[in-house]
Amino acid sequence: MIVSIEWLKQFVELDENAESISEILSNLGLEAEISSVPQKYPGVKIGYVEKTLKHPNADKLQICDIYDGEKINKVICGAPNIKPGQTIAYATVGTTLPGNFKIKKANIRGIDSFGMVCSERELNLSDEHEGIMVLPENLNIGDDFSSAYGYKFISVDIDITPNRPDAFSYLGVARDLACYKNIPLKKIKVNKKKSNNSKRIKISTESITDCPRYIAGLIDNIKVQSSPEWIIERLKASGLRSINNIVDISNLVMLEMGQPSHIFDYESLSSNEIYIRRAKNEEIFKTLDNNTHKLKKENLLITNAGKPIALAGLMGGANSSININTKSILVECAYFNPITIRKSSKALGLSTDASKRFERGADPNGCEYAFWRILNLIEKYAGGTLESKMFDYYPNIIDKELINLNIIEIENVLGVKIPVSKIESILNGLEIDFKKNKDIYSCTIPTFRPDIVRQIDLIEEIARVFGYNSIPVEESIKGSFRYSNPDPEKNYDLIRTYCSGLGFHQIYSNSLQNKTESCRSGLTPVKMMNPLNQEMGYLRTELITGLIKASIFNLNHGASNFKLFELSNVHEHRGEKLKDIIESKHLACIIYGNNNVNNIHGINFDEDIFVLKGVLSFLFEKKFITNLEYEKDKHPLFNNSYAIIINKNKVGHIGQISVPDSYEIKSNLESLNGFFINLELVKKMLNRKKVYKKINLLPQLQRDLNLVLPQNQSTGKVTNLISKIGRQLIKSVKPIDIFIDKQVLGNDHKSVTFSILFQHKKKTLEDKDVNPIINKIINVAEDEFGAKLRV
Amino acid sequence: MSIQEQLDSVRENFLTEIESFPQNTKEISELRSKYLGRKGKVASLFSLMGKASDVERPLIGKKLNLLKKELSDLFKEKELLGLKNNNSESESSKDFTLPGRMQPTGSLHVLEQTLSEIKDIFKNIGFHIAYGQEVDDEYHNFTALNVPEHHPSRDMQDTFFINPEIVLRSHTSNVQIHLMESLEPPIKFIVPGRVYRNESISYKSYCLFHQVEGIYINKSVSFAELKGCLEYFIKQMFGSDKKMRFRPSFFPFTEPSGEVDIWDDERKQWMEILGCGMVDPNVLDNVGYDSKIWKGYAFGMGVERIAMLKYKIDDIRLFYNGDIRFLEQF
Repeated sequence: MIVSIEWLKQFVELDENAESISEILSNLGLEAEISSVPQKYPGVKIGYVEKTLKHPNADKLQICDIYDGEKINKVICGAPNIKPGQTIAYATVGTTLPGNFKIKKANIRGIDSFGMVCSERELNLSDEHEGIMVLPENLNIGDDFSSAYGYKFISVDIDITPNRPDAFSYLGVARDLACYKNIPLKKIKVNKKKSNNSKRIKISTESITDCPRYIAGLIDNIKVQSSPEWIIERLKASGLRSINNIVDISNLVMLEMGQPSHIFDYESLSSNEIYIRRAKNEEIFKTLDNNTHKLKKENLLITNAGKPIALAGLMGGANSSININTKSILVECAYFNPITIRKSSKALGLSTDASKRFERGADPNGCEYAFWRILNLIEKYAGGTLESKMFDYYPNIIDKELINLNIIEIENVLGVKIPVSKIESILNGLEIDFKKNKDIYSCTIPTFRPDIVRQIDLIEEIARVFGYNSIPVEESIKGSFRYSNPDPEKNYDLIRTYCSGLGFHQIYSNSLQNKTESCRSGLTPVKMMNPLNQEMGYLRTELITGLIKASIFNLNHGASNFKLFELSNVHEHRGEKLKDIIESKHLACIIYGNNNVNNIHGINFDEDIFVLKGVLSFLFEKKFITNLEYEKDKHPLFNNSYAIIINKNKVGHIGQISVPDSYEIKSNLESLNGFFINLELVKKMLNRKKVYKKINLLPQLQRDLNLVLPQNQSTGKVTNLISKIGRQLIKSVKPIDIFIDKQVLGNDHKSVTFSILFQHKKKTLEDKDVNPIINKIINVAEDEFGAKLRV
Repeated sequence: MSIQEQLDSVRENFLTEIESFPQNTKEISELRSKYLGRKGKVASLFSLMGKASDVERPLIGKKLNLLKKELSDLFKEKELLGLKNNNSESESSKDFTLPGRMQPTGSLHVLEQTLSEIKDIFKNIGFHIAYGQEVDDEYHNFTALNVPEHHPSRDMQDTFFINPEIVLRSHTSNVQIHLMESLEPPIKFIVPGRVYRNESISYKSYCLFHQVEGIYINKSVSFAELKGCLEYFIKQMFGSDKKMRFRPSFFPFTEPSGEVDIWDDERKQWMEILGCGMVDPNVLDNVGYDSKIWKGYAFGMGVERIAMLKYKIDDIRLFYNGDIRFLEQF
C-alpha cells in the first residue's frame, strides 16, 4: 500500500523525513520502501500558461507563453490538453528531471523553446503521460514546485503481511506509529445523522456466515461531479485515479479506515430489498469494469429483486454503477467472511483493493464508523441528504476476544525483561484494553486485529513495538547432541569434492523439464498439475539430459574441452500415491574434447570413455573400496553403453551419450561420453569403514608376461584370471602394452603385456616361488582363452 | 638387398640420426616410433623373417634381437643425456615466465560452496543436519505448519502441485514436521534442500532455489537466543563488521516472526537475507509436542540469495545454466 506522508500526518504527528519514517515502519513490521517520488525537484516552478499559439511548422505543437513569476518564457509543448489560464509545473532550463532527463534550450522545428511543461510521469508522480499535469489554481506562480505542491506525493510503499488487515489503512499505519512514538492517534470524528424520512431497506442473507454484517443507507439528491482537489491529490498520492466524487469518497474512506464500501445507483434497482446469496453455477454477471463473468457457487452476490447487483467484497455490477445522471444512491458498508471472499476471488482470478482487505479480515465493528464518514463526505461534496435511517443487519454481534497475558511468559519467550510501564503503553497504543491482576493482564482485543487470538500473538505485539533490535543477543550455546549421524550426506560431499578435484566442474541444473526430456530415460516422470509452461512440466528422471544441455550451452559459447558433473535428486513416478514417487540421489559425469590441449609443455590425450572409467575406479575402487565391473548393456540415454556393476547390482551406465537431434548445436559435436550412477544403490558401500593394512616391507618381484591372445579376447578377463591364480602372492596385475601386427601375429591375434608384481606376506620371494605360478598362468590361459606365450 | 644388408643400413641410418638428437618431446617420440615403434623400421625387419629359410631364421632372429637391444639402449642413453641437458637448459625450462603445467581444474558449484559454509557455521554451534524429500504432501508443506487452506498466507508461495494432495515443497520446513514427528524433543537441526516456487524465470527469480531451514526445540528457548544464533551466522558468513537488523514480519509457522536484513554498501539499502521466529505453538501441537512445555526457534534462508549478496552475482539464472565461464570463477 502506498502511503502519503502528508496524509499520514492527519492521523499522527510526524516530523521525521520519509527515510526515517520508512525505517520506523520497517522496524514495526510494516516493511516500507520510499517510493520513487523525489523529495525535491530543483528548477521546477509553478508556472502559468498565458497564451498558446499553433506552431507554424508542426500540427501537433503549440508555442506557449509560460509565466514563471518573473518573466514570460516561450515553451514548445506537444500536450493536447494545454490551454491558456492553466497553472502548471514548469521545468526551467538547466533542470534535471527524474531519470537524469536534462532540460536544455532547444530549437524545435525552427523555433526556440526554453524549458518544459511537465506531465505527471516526467515528475515521477504517476504513469500519466497523455497530457501535462494541470495544477490547482490557488498556487502561487513562481513558487518552487516541491515545496508548494510536490511534497504531497512523497510517500512510502508498505508491503502488508497477510496477518495485518488493520495496516491496510492510513488509520492502522498511523496507529502503529503513534504507539511506537507513544503519542496520541488523531481519529477522524464522524457525525451520526438522523433522517426524518422513512424510506426503508430490507436486508436479508442466505447465510450469516458469509455475510455477518451489512449496513445500508439511502442518500438522495446527490450531484455526481469531479472531486475536490484535496481528494484527487490524496488518491493520486496513494496510487489511485480519481473517477468522480462518489466513487472517490468510497475509495478515500477505504484508504483512511480500511473498510471497503460499495455505492449503488439506487434508481437502477427495482426494489428496496437487498439479499446476499451465493451465485448459481454458471450464473452470468457483468461487473462495472464491463467484464462478463461466468460465476461459480463460491461467488457471493449482492442481489436485488432476484438480480445480482454486485460481487460481494470484490466489485460492483455494471447494471447499478454510479453514472453522471445518478441522483440517489444506496451506500453499503459490510463485513464479509474472509474465507468466503478469498474463495470467491480465487474462483474468478479477480483480486481488488476491496477483496484484499476483506480476505485478510476487515473490522466487523468498523462498518458503522466508515458508513458515517462516507455519509458526511457525500453531504459535503455531493450535496445529498440521508433519506433513510442507517439499516444495520448484524444478527450476531462479533465480540472482542479476551486473552490473558502473563508478564513472565513475555520474558520467557523474548529473553528480556520489558518494563511494565512500556508493556502498558504498548497495549494502550494498540487500543488493547486491559485489567491487571498480579502478573496477568486480562486483555480485550479490538476486532480490527483478528490476528491476535493467543497470548503468543500479544507477545509478538509487545516485541515488535518494543523493537526486535532492542532485544539483547544471547550468546551461549544450548541444545542436545544425541544423534549418531550429524550429517547423513557427508559422503556425497566427499564425492563432490573428489569430482571437482579430478577436473570436473559441478553444475546445478533445472529439475523441471519438458515431457520428451524427462521421458528419455524410459522411466515415467512426475508430472505437474500447474506447470509454469510446457517446457517445465515434469521432474527430471536422470541427470544426463541436464548435463547435455549444459554441454551444448558451453559448446555454443566457444568451449571445446570440458568435464562436468552433477550430484542431485531425480524423481520417478511409480504411482499416484506419495510413497510411489521415488526420489533418488544420482551422480552423473560428462566429458568432452581433449585434456590440456593448449599446454606448452606438451602431451595431451582425448577425454574418452577410459578417462571416465578412471574416475569410477578412483571413486569406487580407491576411495570407497568396492569392486567395479562392467557389462555391455543397452540404455536409452547412450548410443553405446555398459552397465556399471557394483556387488552384482546394476547401479548405472557408462558410454557414449546419445544427444537428441532437437538441440541446436552451433559447432560440430564429437563424441560426448558420460556415466550416471544411482547412489541409493551404493549407499552402504560408501559408509564402509576403512581399516589400515600393514605396509609390506618385503622385496617385490616384477615379471612381464607377453601373451598372444585372440583379437576379440577381453583383456579384463585375463587380468582377473592372473590375479586369481596368483592369489596370495600377486600384489597387482595390469596390462601395460598391446601389440597388434598382422604380419607377425596374423589377422586375428594380439599380443598383450601384463606386468605382474609378486610379493609374499612373510618371506622374500625367489624365482623358484614365482616360476610355477607363471607356468600355471600360461597353461590355464591357454586352456581358457587359447593364449600363447610370445617369445 | 639381403636381410643382413637391410639390417646394416637401418643401423647406420639410426646412428646418423641420433647424432643430432631432437630437443622436444614430439620429435623424440617421432624418432622412437620411426625405428623402435610397433610399425618402425626394426619391427619391419622382424617381419622379413618369414622369408628366410629355416636354417637362417634362428640366426637372423638372434641378430635382430641384438640390434633391437643395441638401438634401444643407445636411444635411451641419448634420451637420458638430452633430459639432463634439458633440465638445465631446455627451451621451456630456461623461460620461467611460461605458464605452469596446469593440474586438472574442476570446481564445486558456488551454491555448493556457500551451502558448505552455511553447514559448517551451524555445525559449530551444535546443529545436526537433516535432509528430506522434495515431493511431499500438502499436510507437511502447509497444514502442519499452521498455513490454513483458505488463508492469504498461502499466496506468499506459489506452489507446484502434482495432484491436489501432493506438492513440490515450497520450503524445506516440511522436514521440520517429519523430524518432530519422528523424534522426541529437544532437537536442533538445519535442513538444506531444493525447493520450488511457481514463479516465472527472470534475473531475480527462478522456479526453484535452495533453502536452509533451522529449528531448535527445547524447554527454554528465547528470541534472544535466536538473535544470538543468527548474529553469529551473519558475522561468520559476511564478516564481523556487517551491519544487520532484525525486523518484525509474518510467517504462519512462527510467532513472533522476523526477518533479518543486511546493509548493502553499494546499493545503499537493506537487503533481506533470512526469515525467522519463535516456533508457533500450533506447529508444536500439530506434531504432538506439548507447547506448554516446549519452545523453539526456527529460521530459513535462501542459499542463492546469500551467494548473490556475498559474491555480487546479479542474475540468478547463472547458477543453473552450467556456463563454465561462471563455474570456474569459484
